[in-house]
Amino acid sequence: MTNDLHARAETLIAKDRVEGISAAEHEWLSQHLRECTQCADSANAMQQALRSLRTLSVSVPRELAARTQFRVRLRAHELQAREPRWRLIWAMCGASWVAGAATAPYVWHGLEWIGHRTGMPDLLWKMGFGVWWALPAIVAAAILLMEGGERRPARTAGGGA
Amino acid sequence: MADDAKTLVQGLRQRDPELLDRLIEQYQYRLFRYLLYITGNTERAEDFFQETWIRVLERGHQYDGKFKFESWLFTIARNLVIDWQRQKKAVSLDSMTDPEEGRGFEIVDEKAESPLDLFLQAESQERVQASLQQLSAPYREVLLLRFQEEMQLDEIARIQATPISTVKSRLYRGLEALKGLLAAGGAA
Repeated sequence: MTNDLHARAETLIAKDRVEGISAAEHEWLSQHLRECTQCADSANAMQQALRSLRTLSVSVPRELAARTQFRVRLRAHELQAREPRWRLIWAMCGASWVAGAATAPYVWHGLEWIGHRTGMPDLLWKMGFGVWWALPAIVAAAILLMEGGERRPARTAGGGA
Repeated sequence: MADDAKTLVQGLRQRDPELLDRLIEQYQYRLFRYLLYITGNTERAEDFFQETWIRVLERGHQYDGKFKFESWLFTIARNLVIDWQRQKKAVSLDSMTDPEEGRGFEIVDEKAESPLDLFLQAESQERVQASLQQLSAPYREVLLLRFQEEMQLDEIARIQATPISTVKSRLYRGLEALKGLLAAGGAA
């Protein structure tokens, strides 16, 4: 028997466990294992290794599930408490956008008038209009950033270890 | 099955506490075992276990039911461990995930005895445990996911964020190494 045959058998033994082998390969391997003690031992070693791996067990610490359920419920309550606040913020942003869109021409003319009356450069009052338009988004972004800042230091995974 | 997935997606989206309680119960053993193997420390595994479920609660809306829930769950757990490792040691992600770069987050002997000693009773288990400890983390992880969790290659690839070919190669090498270690008596 050549070394190539043994190498092929070794490859198929592993392949069978990892990704599966075809019926023809299976047939060839079975035949080879019947004839070659060395490869049969190797197949048994693989079988034994996997059996050992599957029999490994761990004990889950007592109350871990209960403690986790408690923490999860607590966090759910926190999140729930924030929801009405968020709905209000989004509603206010929405209303602000609608009002902004509806009054945009008047605000433009108003700022233009103030700009001319005060001798302000055109660019300045036009920029003022831009800021006025973006104000709801800026406020929303600021709130989001503050929320993010509040959330972050709450707990780092594994930090207690 | 499709209905189950739909119920799960909907429940997670709504942060249904009853559903989450059930999931925690259902997956406690598998998730804890996975975390224990990849962190190598009981207390840390407990912390990550809790943190994983908090993430599930917070990001439940991101689960779309296209893949198995356990894949998503294990991915969250794994990412938490990797983030923590990054913060703690400022080690590069590559060094933890690429077996060629080093041993990665191996089971550390922090209490004068191996953490798994606390759990493993039988002699044969101790031998396997000793052998597993000698494997690098990515090999240990794929072996666990494939042969204990009985996950498909594509599921493992998704969890590890690596191509299937990498998963296969890690499995082949991991199996070969485990076989060799067990044959040599594990802790040899």
